[in-house]
Amino acid sequence: MKKLVALMLALALCMSMVVISASAEETFKIVMMVDTTVVDQNNGRDAFEARWEELHPGFDLEIIQPDHSAYYDVMQQRMSSGDWPDVLILSSTYYADYAANGALWDMTEAWENSQTKNSGRFNGDNVFEGLKIDGKLYGFAPYRGNGCVTYVKKAWMDDCGITEAPTTYDAYIEMLKAFTAKYGTYAVAAAGFVGNEAPFVNYLPEFYQDAYPYFIQQEDGSWVDGFTQDNMKAAMQRIQDAVKDGLIDKETLTNTTADARNKFYDDKFGVFTYWAGTWATNLKTNLEANGKDGELIALKPLEGLPAYYDRVPPVWCITSKCSDPQKVFDAFIDTMLDGGDCQMLWTYGVEGVHWSKSAGTVLAGTEKEKTYEDGQFHMLENLEKEGTLYTKNHIDPMLSLASFADGYYDPKEDSVKPEAKAAAELFNENSRLAAIVPATPTLSELNGELTTLKGEIIADIALGNLSVEEGFAKFENEGGLEMSNEIVASLNELNK
Amino acid sequence: MASVTSNGTIRARKKPLLKRMSKYWGFYLMFIPVLVFVAVFHYAPMFGIRYAFYSWKIIGDPKWVGLANFEKLFSQSQFSVSFTNTIVFSVVKLLLNTGFAVIISLLLNEMISLKFKKLSQTIIYLPHFMSWVVTASVFSLLLSPSNSGLINQLLIKMGVISEPVYYLADKGWWRIWYYIINVWRETGWQTIIFMATLTGIDPGIYEAASIDGAGRWKKMRYVTFPALGNTIITVLILNLAKIMNLFESVFVLQNDSVKRATNVLQTYVYYQTFNAGASADYGYTTAIGLFRSLVGLALMLICNYASKKVRGRGIV
Amino acid sequence: MAKQNAEYTTPAGLKVQGPPHLNKPKSQYTFFNFLNGFVFVIICLLIIVPIWKVLIDSLDLTTGYGMKILPTKFGLDGYISIFSNQSLLRPLWVSIYTTVAGTFLGLTLSTMGAYVLIQWDMPFRTMFANILLFTMIFSGGMIPSYLVMRGIGLTDNPLGPILLPAINVYNLVLMRNFFEGIPKSLFESADLDGCTPMGAFFRIALPLSKAALASIGLMFAVAYWNDYTNFKLYITDRNLYNFQMKLRDMIQSSDLPESVGGATENTIRNACVITAILPFMILYPFLQKYFVKGINIGAVKE
Repeated sequence: MKKLVALMLALALCMSMVVISASAEETFKIVMMVDTTVVDQNNGRDAFEARWEELHPGFDLEIIQPDHSAYYDVMQQRMSSGDWPDVLILSSTYYADYAANGALWDMTEAWENSQTKNSGRFNGDNVFEGLKIDGKLYGFAPYRGNGCVTYVKKAWMDDCGITEAPTTYDAYIEMLKAFTAKYGTYAVAAAGFVGNEAPFVNYLPEFYQDAYPYFIQQEDGSWVDGFTQDNMKAAMQRIQDAVKDGLIDKETLTNTTADARNKFYDDKFGVFTYWAGTWATNLKTNLEANGKDGELIALKPLEGLPAYYDRVPPVWCITSKCSDPQKVFDAFIDTMLDGGDCQMLWTYGVEGVHWSKSAGTVLAGTEKEKTYEDGQFHMLENLEKEGTLYTKNHIDPMLSLASFADGYYDPKEDSVKPEAKAAAELFNENSRLAAIVPATPTLSELNGELTTLKGEIIADIALGNLSVEEGFAKFENEGGLEMSNEIVASLNELNK
Repeated sequence: MASVTSNGTIRARKKPLLKRMSKYWGFYLMFIPVLVFVAVFHYAPMFGIRYAFYSWKIIGDPKWVGLANFEKLFSQSQFSVSFTNTIVFSVVKLLLNTGFAVIISLLLNEMISLKFKKLSQTIIYLPHFMSWVVTASVFSLLLSPSNSGLINQLLIKMGVISEPVYYLADKGWWRIWYYIINVWRETGWQTIIFMATLTGIDPGIYEAASIDGAGRWKKMRYVTFPALGNTIITVLILNLAKIMNLFESVFVLQNDSVKRATNVLQTYVYYQTFNAGASADYGYTTAIGLFRSLVGLALMLICNYASKKVRGRGIV
Repeated sequence: MAKQNAEYTTPAGLKVQGPPHLNKPKSQYTFFNFLNGFVFVIICLLIIVPIWKVLIDSLDLTTGYGMKILPTKFGLDGYISIFSNQSLLRPLWVSIYTTVAGTFLGLTLSTMGAYVLIQWDMPFRTMFANILLFTMIFSGGMIPSYLVMRGIGLTDNPLGPILLPAINVYNLVLMRNFFEGIPKSLFESADLDGCTPMGAFFRIALPLSKAALASIGLMFAVAYWNDYTNFKLYITDRNLYNFQMKLRDMIQSSDLPESVGGATENTIRNACVITAILPFMILYPFLQKYFVKGINIGAVKE
């Protein structure tokens, strides 16, 4: 037995060496570095890699995929060693930084001439405008960054005799008051009165309205600090009043996102601004698991209020050490949203591993058991987690920046839950991108302290420890205004 | 012990070095693996300390900036607050944890029921296995000002307070609870080392003391406590070296309301980097690390010196 | 303090007759002992309350915010969804392997180093001690460490997370502290009997330090078992992930919107926390006997 195994191993080794030596001459190797937004080793990454290579003859894909929480540490380690990957995925911070330091290939021209941009299926021009640095594009985003919409518990509305979802701020506040009176609890909770990164106000959009506590570029190109504007004071007054009236949970200050969700599932409050898309399904499922009514109504932005904020998505970049960037762009990036097999692979994964069209019964998910006929698209059971289904690969079908080509079967209708789709569509129609603020040396130096101070002022006002006037006076006394002005000046300097 | 050491040294000095060394050849041999390990895993990477004097964004070449990184650190207006906080939080925490650990070890040692002793030991070690994130989320629930907050409810029932207090949003209360939570999480684990020391005491000594007519308190005072003394000092000094590493326990318990008042050096630097709008400069990060090391070194040298004065020798 | 110690150290070397330490006279049911027991009941309760919250949440299929005494809807689905995870077995083996090998290696290095450091008259002893202490305070940083690990081929290699934490100066110094408590006379007489340093190490130092070995060993074991940082930084191959990495992975992905069988995200998250404690609960009773009773040095000497 042992001998047999040894023999087989030896044989396998020889064969693989033959294959490697044979293929090494013809194939072009692309080393890619990605976080766990692509299926990992335990979830059929090998099949993904094989399928990608099948769709791209002549290319050999090597995937480096660190753990999600270690991605940026490992990425930096790798970059420091000088052994750079050809393509890698970067968050907006690293993207802007690396681009400024010449580590990324300028893909502006390649993008202008790309098939994706000129396909007519592409709908992300506004996203890509936001990704440009000094008019140049260094990265490619296949999907939107997503953002939050406001969900209201339908059962609570019914209980209070509210038949129409509020469309104005006054109606919205009336609804919150009705909830508070009826259930003796707060009506809204969030994780933090202000977010810790852009787009800061996404968890309490109805109260912030048009106020934004960070640097904003005005139409004429000049910068201001939104925190020092008058609309910020009005927003703070709204929040203070709402907390005082018990409409907003005062523990919003210390809530984590998990706390806020658990309170929502536990019927501690009824109006929750949270991520659009798949989260709509997840909120519903968890409410139902708790024996509560899971029907949620996603609100459109209230009348007179700006659209919801979209996060800046992570982007795929080609490093400047890549031997043939145009070739990598054409093969790797320009095919990701090809509207066909490749987009299918990036969106849903590999047929037979992550999804299937053949007849069968799937024992998984909330449907428990469902039989599909031949030719009917369905996602398959998670290889790792029994009882759960795959929902996507890298690209969330609801956030994808390009539709599938005419005539190519788009499984979106069959794979996405109706409530998730509804929330996602509502969001996509009513969203705008939170702009990237360029990092000047002054900003890098002062903004940490300024942001901490702003956070304290917002908390002080929200909890009623200080009045709005006192709060902004404190901001000035503690040197906030001075720092803010210095940063604004440094940003305006860039325009010259 | 001290006299033996110094006597030995004085005697030994008369012999030539090589001869003295040859007596210990077996020990040198045993120390080789230890040296190899520290050389490879600790000394080899130390070439990186030089980045403290460079500006380096990982990509591209490091740029020599001299002491600019340190100047930048010291010129931060919140630097002194966060530096003081680091020292105060760490020292108070260290003294409280060690103090409680010693008391609990002594009491455990006196416990008669073996079963209950074992059970208690197992239970008091448990919190150490909960990550800081989990610890923070559980305690923020316990301390909640809503009706879900067990501690507020209990205190109201006992008549200590009339209104629920939002402890974590209050700068004063925050510190108190920070220490309590630290004691809750780490004290039990620290007893391990003290318990091991106590079990290391030769029972013969207790018997001899009993024969001399010593009671429970006398035995504790003259046998148990002195035996622990050495361990306590060692633990205290070793932990001093790590004082400046304080980060996670503070970070997970912070919120917008108390951040500025409770920042320690590491959290302060974290927020600074996080909001910088750009990735961190590795040179600056290294400079902060080097600064922390130097403070740790200074503290350790001072305590080692004090230990030498008081006990006649340092910790190693 | 040292003086008081010395007073009673002398009789320790002598052979003492009499009943064993724990066979105390009847007076054990005193007020002190009662009070002592009572204090520990309170301490244990205080410690358990927060853990209870996590435990109950891990067994509850509904998601609540407040404290509960018992689950609203009891179910083991949280644990089932962890242990039915197909890819959990391998990380479990990686963890067991690294913990066992690492603890052994860590104890070997610590005891050998500690043993050398108690040779007060040895030339260069202080220098050695300082070389070790220096590494406790200064470090090269994340990136240089990675470059060294990569240079010697320890990235994506299970040996990396075993070898790197094996040298732990903190534990080594504590170990030295324990060795110091062994009466010098024992080593001296062993030396006179012609025992080599290695021989005295195995015959005197180690057998007399069982409690110390158990506690330092436990500290190593827990550090290896809970090791996350080294795996995170030096291992990108998921086949080499340990249990802790996998658990964190699951906690993280329970945050992601995926329809889960009977268990809610909250149940799974809490079950992961409890699962992380389990190995310790299983291991600890086996170690405990070393913490209970002292070693009669007189008996060893015979």
